[in-house]
Amino acid sequence: MIPLTLQARSDAPAPFVTRLSCSQAGGVDVSRLQAEANDTLLFAGDQGLIEIVGQPSAALDGDVVLVDPGAESAHRLLRAGSRHNTLMVTERCDQLCIMCSQPPKKTHQDRFAYFERACLLAAHGETIGLSGGEPTLYKERLLAFLEYVIERRPDLSFHVLTNGQHFEEAEIDRLADRRFRNVVWGIPLYAAEPSLHDQIVAKSGAFLRLERSLRHLIMAGARVELRTVVLQPNWTALDALACHVTTYLRFVEQWSIMQLENIGFARGRWSALYVDPSAEFGPLAQAIDRALLFGVRPALFNFPRCSVPQPYRKFAIASISDWKQKFAPDCCSCAERSDCSGFFEWHPQELLEKVVPI
Amino acid sequence: MIVLPLRVRPSGKESLLFANDAGQFFQGDRAFLRRYAFDELTAEDISFLSERGQAFDDIDSLGFASHLHGCARRITSPTTLDYLILVPTLRCNLACSYCQVSRASLESRGYDWSDETLAAVLTLIDRLDAGAVKLEFQGGEPTLRPDLIASVIERCERFADKSFVICTNLSCLDEDVMRIFDRPDVLISTSLDGSEFTHQQNRTATAEKTRTFFANLEFVLDRYGPDKVSALPTLDPLNPPQVETLVEAFASRRLPSIYLRPINYQGFARKRHPDSRAQDDRWREYYESFVQAIIARNWSDPSIVLEETYLSLCLRRIFQPGHDRHVDLRNPNPVGRDYIVIDHDGVVYPTDEARMLARSGVVDLAIGHVASGWDTEQRAVLDCASTNQFDPDCQRCTYQPFCGRDLVDDLARYGRIDVPRRETEFCRRHLHVFDFAFRLIYSDDPATRYSLARWLDLGGDLPDLAVSR
Ligand code: SF4
Ligand code: SF4
Repeated sequence: MIPLTLQARSDAPAPFVTRLSCSQAGGVDVSRLQAEANDTLLFAGDQGLIEIVGQPSAALDGDVVLVDPGAESAHRLLRAGSRHNTLMVTERCDQLCIMCSQPPKKTHQDRFAYFERACLLAAHGETIGLSGGEPTLYKERLLAFLEYVIERRPDLSFHVLTNGQHFEEAEIDRLADRRFRNVVWGIPLYAAEPSLHDQIVAKSGAFLRLERSLRHLIMAGARVELRTVVLQPNWTALDALACHVTTYLRFVEQWSIMQLENIGFARGRWSALYVDPSAEFGPLAQAIDRALLFGVRPALFNFPRCSVPQPYRKFAIASISDWKQKFAPDCCSCAERSDCSGFFEWHPQELLEKVVPI
Repeated sequence: MIVLPLRVRPSGKESLLFANDAGQFFQGDRAFLRRYAFDELTAEDISFLSERGQAFDDIDSLGFASHLHGCARRITSPTTLDYLILVPTLRCNLACSYCQVSRASLESRGYDWSDETLAAVLTLIDRLDAGAVKLEFQGGEPTLRPDLIASVIERCERFADKSFVICTNLSCLDEDVMRIFDRPDVLISTSLDGSEFTHQQNRTATAEKTRTFFANLEFVLDRYGPDKVSALPTLDPLNPPQVETLVEAFASRRLPSIYLRPINYQGFARKRHPDSRAQDDRWREYYESFVQAIIARNWSDPSIVLEETYLSLCLRRIFQPGHDRHVDLRNPNPVGRDYIVIDHDGVVYPTDEARMLARSGVVDLAIGHVASGWDTEQRAVLDCASTNQFDPDCQRCTYQPFCGRDLVDDLARYGRIDVPRRETEFCRRHLHVFDFAFRLIYSDDPATRYSLARWLDLGGDLPDLAVSR
């Protein structure tokens, strides 16, 4: 795994955001490498000195980090060259999905000020993820943050993961603003049957509230990516969901159908939730074909390519973030490895042994 | 409860096709129609309709917003100019019986781009602000001027995403032409009328030229494979070739797409084939038997999936809004916005057919000149008539969300654009093709369903579609 938090010390009085640089090029908020010895890097910038332990300088060159002197840490907020940079807005959430990979916590720390600085330092044209918890619990801060950053950095794009429980009619005009053309809302929907969706997200009324939000997002011309994790409870209801999506939600840019991640709540409920697509792909094939037929673009996330029958393989994209991705030993002989999602770092080891390379 | 207005059309013997303004459709029967018309819908009907996005609780619902969005997506909204059809020369080394532009003979002078015209085209390319561009070279025979093609292609280097189509009779493959063909972003488009006999009769005239054409076709197919080469047959509707011969001419060369077009009603064609105005039921019968033949062939030989290009387009437009880049079938069909034709003399036309009409002296539909621009009065006049949206026939037609508008075709045939829509050949042709498409869509014949699923690019079988009883 690529480490996201580094051991670091600094003489600064308070946390700050900076970009680490190994060259002498100029720029605001840059900390330049001064020395590298014995596993320790020394950077210096306007905001103070930083000492980082345990990484070679080449691995960190260009990273935008949040240095927290009190905690003796540096968070790599935006890693240079990574396509998977995600900022965690909050750990709070008002749903409690049965397979949540990051079970919510009660506490919240507002880090938007740091995110603003970090995004202004982002590489040109980068797409930055925002997730949680539920980012729209702090909707006013979130929208203001997006407006502020995109105004100054129109080259950046954002992908916000949200449960869609909080969009209001009164926000339609605001969301219709040109700046939100750079924002895609990634919104989960698990079933067309309201009670089944509500049961999966463990919140009654969630489906109906989500429908209202989606209606507002349509009226705002917002960009939406729909997300469905396949689970034993919704597996046979996938075609019904596809009917619903192709009837009511054709405005979405993409329907991402996702494989379960064996972490968080899913770890304890694995055997009750996990569906093995290599054993049976039928319901998923039907759903994909219905989406294709009606012009909704499907994508398969976190599906190792060998688990997907050939006609549908092209939809399986390398979706697993680099820092938590792994492959099976047999994968090295596989023809499709470079396009493959591989597995989550925490995927059950015994399932890895079953791969049949393509 | 709001029930959307539905348009109805008989479909097959017992059934009716219902569609709303966004093109969402279902099949129903006469009893359902009666209940719908007399406001006697049952609770079951209502739940059927709301599951299909045809009925909602109120206008603030997701369903209604989605419906509005669906209607909007059925309307073409071209953004920026990114498709140029270029005619670097009007000269040609063949004289096909239905030549669509009354080409100039090989030796004639004054039918190639002048230096000024070339310069103006290159300036235009420099000013395009599209991310992806498509340039199509028409003629005449564009390969008579590989130098002009090469200058244009070279000027397009700055575009990350670009493609070039060379429409050629493949009579000459010299070094300069091959250098162009060898580029991975170049596609070759040619004509193939069926057997060697038919092809010679219609196009190549002498045995020697016929041999050259077929040898060159084999050569490019061998060298590049069928993905880079496409061929179009042009057929005499009064005397079409045998279906099997035509199908095999394509299948044996692994060319999957066949665009069955009857002779275009322009140029020489207008003079030599006076009967072509009445493209009667015989042509439509031929068309259907052709499609049935490829359905049967696809079913018995899955190694290649043949398609009739226009039918595939219509099918995609039925199911999927947003297929608006096929400029023959979309609505509105705005003039001189996202694509233009630049003739051998730099004159700008809205479509290739418009260029041919001007050339054959029927009506001058030029909208400007590449050097001076085409944001002109002429364009504005044509643009006013480029939609079917408010046409009284189309407004009642079940197929309006999928159909289009081709005012150049109306002008070519009738010299005017206000002929009642149902009496135009454009309308008759499209009513037929959509009727036929829906018969296929609701067919339960496994061979038909197999071909439909392939034409629509599905991985497996065609999903079940909505039927109300
Ligand atoms: S064998 Fe490995 S690399 Fe190949 S498809 Fe399966 S998981 Fe992916
Ligand atoms: S042209 Fe004919 S088929 Fe097309 S929408 Fe109008 S009436 Fe219908």
